[in-house]
Amino acid sequence: MAAGALRRSIRQSLTVARRDFIATVFTPTFLIFLLSPLLTIAFGAMGGVGASRMTQSVIDRSKLVVLTAPDRAAAFQAADAQLRPVFDRGDAPPPIEFKLPEPNQEAQARSLIGSREGDVDAVLYGALDAPHILYGNGAASEANYLAALADQIVRNDRIGSPAPLSKAVKTRIAQTQVTVGGHGTAAFMAVMAIFLLTLFLAGLTIGTMAEERNNKVIEVLAAAVPLESVFVGKLVGMFGVALLFVGFWGTVVTQVTSLLPAGMAAELMQVAPAVGKPMFALLFLVYFVMSYLLVGAAYLILGAQASTQRELQMMSLPMTFVQMGMVGLASAAAASPGSTVALVAAIFPFSSPMAMAAAAANSPSLWPHAIAIAWQLLWVSVVIWLGARWFRRGVLKSGSGAKRSKGG
Amino acid sequence: MAFRDPPGPATTNTKDKGIARVSQNLAVTATGLVKKFGQRRVVDGIDLAVPAGTIYGVLGPNGAGKTTTLRMLLGIIEPDGGERTLLGHARPREASDQVGYLPEERGLYPAMKAREAIAFMGALRGLPWGVGRKRAVELMENAGLGYAVDTKIRKLSKGMAQLVQLLGSVVHQPDLLVLDEPFSGLDPVNQENLEKLIRGEQARGATVLFSTHVMAHAERLCDRLAIIAGGKRRFEGTVNDARGQLPMQAHYTPERDDPSIAGILPADARHNGHEWIFSVPDGGIEDMLRLLTQSGHGVAGLSIERPGLHDAFVKIVGAKALADAEAAVL
Repeated sequence: MAAGALRRSIRQSLTVARRDFIATVFTPTFLIFLLSPLLTIAFGAMGGVGASRMTQSVIDRSKLVVLTAPDRAAAFQAADAQLRPVFDRGDAPPPIEFKLPEPNQEAQARSLIGSREGDVDAVLYGALDAPHILYGNGAASEANYLAALADQIVRNDRIGSPAPLSKAVKTRIAQTQVTVGGHGTAAFMAVMAIFLLTLFLAGLTIGTMAEERNNKVIEVLAAAVPLESVFVGKLVGMFGVALLFVGFWGTVVTQVTSLLPAGMAAELMQVAPAVGKPMFALLFLVYFVMSYLLVGAAYLILGAQASTQRELQMMSLPMTFVQMGMVGLASAAAASPGSTVALVAAIFPFSSPMAMAAAAANSPSLWPHAIAIAWQLLWVSVVIWLGARWFRRGVLKSGSGAKRSKGG
Repeated sequence: MAFRDPPGPATTNTKDKGIARVSQNLAVTATGLVKKFGQRRVVDGIDLAVPAGTIYGVLGPNGAGKTTTLRMLLGIIEPDGGERTLLGHARPREASDQVGYLPEERGLYPAMKAREAIAFMGALRGLPWGVGRKRAVELMENAGLGYAVDTKIRKLSKGMAQLVQLLGSVVHQPDLLVLDEPFSGLDPVNQENLEKLIRGEQARGATVLFSTHVMAHAERLCDRLAIIAGGKRRFEGTVNDARGQLPMQAHYTPERDDPSIAGILPADARHNGHEWIFSVPDGGIEDMLRLLTQSGHGVAGLSIERPGLHDAFVKIVGAKALADAEAAVL
């Protein structure tokens, strides 16, 4: 292509991109779009709080029962006070309730476990050196706890005191070094971030062609500009919107992170990519661009084939499922760096950006990224080229195509 | 809308490089253009030669292949056969910045202001946005739409939006202006103003190629025209050449009318009120007048007129073909 033709093609694409960018961004609805993650977060938080309250309610009603004479209850309480601090607040076993044993203790215990008034997770009865413990569904841990209590009481009885035999000196040290687990967490976060951003932003492109169809502007564009330039222009215009979105939320997340409490910030420090944060940020951006271009082009192709909103929705659904498959593949790659799955995910074009972002989090090697970026660029070129051709066919056979076929 | 009257016709124009280059040449050529949709040859071997600086009409009934021909000339769709050049370029895309186009299906972005819409259409053709905005204001003021410069397209009437699109097609001062059925949807006043704009573009030095199926506009505007029907070119020449396809028409009113007069008049004579209308015979009308006088019918009135373009069009296309073509698109 001559330099002049290339310049003209770039200029035409940028003219289309500028129009699409302005038409998208300078509207009140864009503000809603920009702030829509807040709605997601708000609904997520509300759902989380609700689920947490329901769970807590169930936990609050649960209890363990010990069938024992009243004089042994104090020993149980002392042993419980010794062992309970081992658990975090949310993981602690239910409280213990004491009941006088009846003649048939086994029947009594079964009755308690099976009671509809219920929420008795486990019941202990019998001699403490060989206690019997009955427990209900999903209450094996609670049964273990009762067994440990019995064991502790026996130990205390042998030494004649429930007092601790040693007193530890505990000092908290802030861990800031990056761990392998931290790399893995960063890898998974990278996969999910690229997936969500691409799902959210690349989908914008699918509706842009419907606009031209409805307004009948497509022929004005097609007469002045090659459809390939229209295609690229639309992709670039929506990419500008995507960058604005990412820039806005990137800034918000950075600022929020800096306001986190020291302990939480220190925990976040352990979640770090293997290639280092600046290089990871750069690679993340590159892989997001690749993913956006690949998926955005695919959405644009689909959008060009559809002539109604219903068709658009029907066509976008399979693409969403494909993306779900890709994120599954890339997540598996993130969890198993160096595995065959990771290699497959890195090679397959639509999962490659996510898989390689995960690789940047898991491994400090940079040379695979040079190869991956070249490979992805090749596929971006192929998809855009193919997309532009299908776009031309899809666009020109629709809308005014009926009249065209009459040769008017 | 009140377009200003165009300046006098341009004989030479050296201001614009493209126009100067093609002024002695053909702005558009087509040789054996073919386009098939499925098994149907919608355009079937059409030849065209549009001299630079002229107003050239492509006439034809609905479904004749006019729009498809224009789209192929502009490179919007590729022909299945034949060749074409646009402003000297074998690949129409290479000349797209020097071309203005008003498609048959009008379309603008509803949320855009009129000024921006015109500037956008200019920008697509390589005109800087700033220049486009400035010219948009001038063009709209000239068209009497200055008050709507910052009005969004969705708030304009259909006719006004159509005019905005028309102005968008000339904002970059193209060397070639292609208008597909430009008069449809306009009221008579705006149709007249559009004729002024077309003449103004010609006076500026541009070539204007437009399609229509309304003969009156073509008759008033066209330096040359082509008539196509059924995908084929049936005629090419001037308006007078087209009218010359039919013999002169005599309008004769006898002093005394009776059935015997039909035996003296030519076979195609038809009664229309008090007058008879018939084609002037090849040998002239003098002998017939002598017979009419001698038979006592006399001559109360006589005029000889050239047939209109409409009559020529019907003859060239064929009344049956015209009816078939109209029926085919319904």
